[in-house]
Amino acid sequence: MVSSNTRVIVQGITGKEGSFHAQRMKSYGTKVVAGVTPGRGGTSVSGIPVYDTVQDAFKEHEAEASVIFVPAKFAADAVYEAVDAGLKLVVVITEHIPVLDTARFVKYAKERGVMLIGPNCPGLIAPDRALVGILPPRAFTRGKIGVVSRSGTLTYEVAEMVRNLGQSTVVGIGGDPIIGTDMPTIVKKFEEDPETEKIVVIGEIGGDMEERVAKMKENGEVKKSMVAYIAGMTAPREKRMGHAGAVVYMGIGTFNSKMEAFKRAGIPVARSPYEIPKLLEDRP
Amino acid sequence: MKLYEYEGKQLFRDVGIPVPRGVVTQGPVQWQGKAVVKSQLLEGARGKRGLVKVTDDVNGAIKELKAQGVETFLVEEFVPHRAEVYISAMLDRRSGEPIIVASPEGGIDVEESKNVKLFSIPLERGVRSFDVLNVEKYLGVKGLEKVVKGLYRLITEYEAELAEINPLAVTESGVVALDSKVILEDNALYRHEELVSKFSRQYVADTYVELEGDVGIIGNGAGLTMATMDMVKLEGGEPADFYDVGGGASRERVKECVVKVGGNQKVKKIVINIFGGITRCDEVAAGIVEAMKIVKKPMFVRLVGTNEEEGHKILRENGIKAYADALSAVRDAIRS
Repeated sequence: MVSSNTRVIVQGITGKEGSFHAQRMKSYGTKVVAGVTPGRGGTSVSGIPVYDTVQDAFKEHEAEASVIFVPAKFAADAVYEAVDAGLKLVVVITEHIPVLDTARFVKYAKERGVMLIGPNCPGLIAPDRALVGILPPRAFTRGKIGVVSRSGTLTYEVAEMVRNLGQSTVVGIGGDPIIGTDMPTIVKKFEEDPETEKIVVIGEIGGDMEERVAKMKENGEVKKSMVAYIAGMTAPREKRMGHAGAVVYMGIGTFNSKMEAFKRAGIPVARSPYEIPKLLEDRP
Repeated sequence: MKLYEYEGKQLFRDVGIPVPRGVVTQGPVQWQGKAVVKSQLLEGARGKRGLVKVTDDVNGAIKELKAQGVETFLVEEFVPHRAEVYISAMLDRRSGEPIIVASPEGGIDVEESKNVKLFSIPLERGVRSFDVLNVEKYLGVKGLEKVVKGLYRLITEYEAELAEINPLAVTESGVVALDSKVILEDNALYRHEELVSKFSRQYVADTYVELEGDVGIIGNGAGLTMATMDMVKLEGGEPADFYDVGGGASRERVKECVVKVGGNQKVKKIVINIFGGITRCDEVAAGIVEAMKIVKKPMFVRLVGTNEEEGHKILRENGIKAYADALSAVRDAIRS
């Protein structure tokens, strides 16, 4: 999904989050080639040149990916701009984007073959190669575990626990009800990725992505070992648990339905995040 | 933002969904004949709790319910009907398109019902006559155009995340929404300020969710906070709340959260679980220390990540132990 060759544009680079994380991505070794903030063209952030539009940045630099730190009210515009400019990967860190906006730009990106990750996500990291997002580097070492998660902090927690095994790629897909790239898509990528040996799925209540991942395993579409953790055992129904997507409507995506789906597929589920390393070591 | 039933019905009226004749009141009203007196609360299951009364003595029912602590009532005409159905609209997570959810079994717990059908109506084209026909055929009810179009508008124009009618009554002269459940999307409220002020609501989105137990829970990140609740339960405790301080919380925000959780009478102890990324541990620690001046309950703090050393130092100097892993903090909290 990302490599040491991936060239990245940071949209919203002059903001508080954008400037801090652009600098951090760059020092991690990510090829951050340009930043974009309307009205701030011609300036620079940590030595990264800033342009008014993605188009302008493209005239000077080639790039494949964009990471968006633009505030929620303007984030949809930033996504359309990135897609129209021809970027192939767009990572939306911004949270609190109205879900109708998301529904529309997710569809727009999909129809044009763009891989969109997020919104409301920490981004992704291929340890020692590239960091595109806000994940704290200390938790990651290069290795063979692929991690996909709906939750930011839980991802850091679990990544740090499996540090000795190391990770191939870690993807935080975001906690909103509608997101660009879902869990089954990432799991499929891990299945095809020669570097990934085992897969960790960190889910939570709401929606049916985890159930669909379990089904893929059950159907034999995924051969690699998989372990899972689901947050929200004690969450009451119809109450939103922080994430916009962590809510059960119509009984879809309860803790129990996810647990049962994993059980049917023979995927062990950790009772707490702390059990994940042991479950991974137990798997062939 | 969850709306009261009468607020939801006001929106129903705005988008053309028929509702019973009624009046919102906090005290005695002028009313002739049979009526339904409905307590206006944001929690569900009012019927099961005896908070909805069908009566000829409206003011007597109001008096009785007031004694139970209810403040606001919706008094509505009693609508005789021959059938009840369920119908709602929301966005489908997988397709990203609006769906109409229908069941011929009205008044039911839709989660339990087997007879539920979803009708996808893509944003690009909106509601068409054949959509209405499909829903009408499935429910065996005619005259649903206003209802289907109205619910659809609530999702796509008012940006509700859920618009539900349960039950929709089928009468001799047409359909009537006997109840309303409308939840407006918090993230989109800035585009609908006129609605919030129309309802005279002062609404601030917050992640706090109160639960039944006695162990206060604060975390950063929704997943980590949920995982902390679950660990408390698995270790034999009962979580009293869910409270995500959010990313990059300042000391003021942390203090505010601890004071709120600590202010719950049921809470005997507080577990705080922080993995700092954007969030700085020293800010968190300073916020906790500030809150300790107000909240005199035992706190079990797990604090790792950005500026961990400084955070631990601040806690230590104020006599609080900082745990490196959440499970130990949770275990000590349960055993204390």
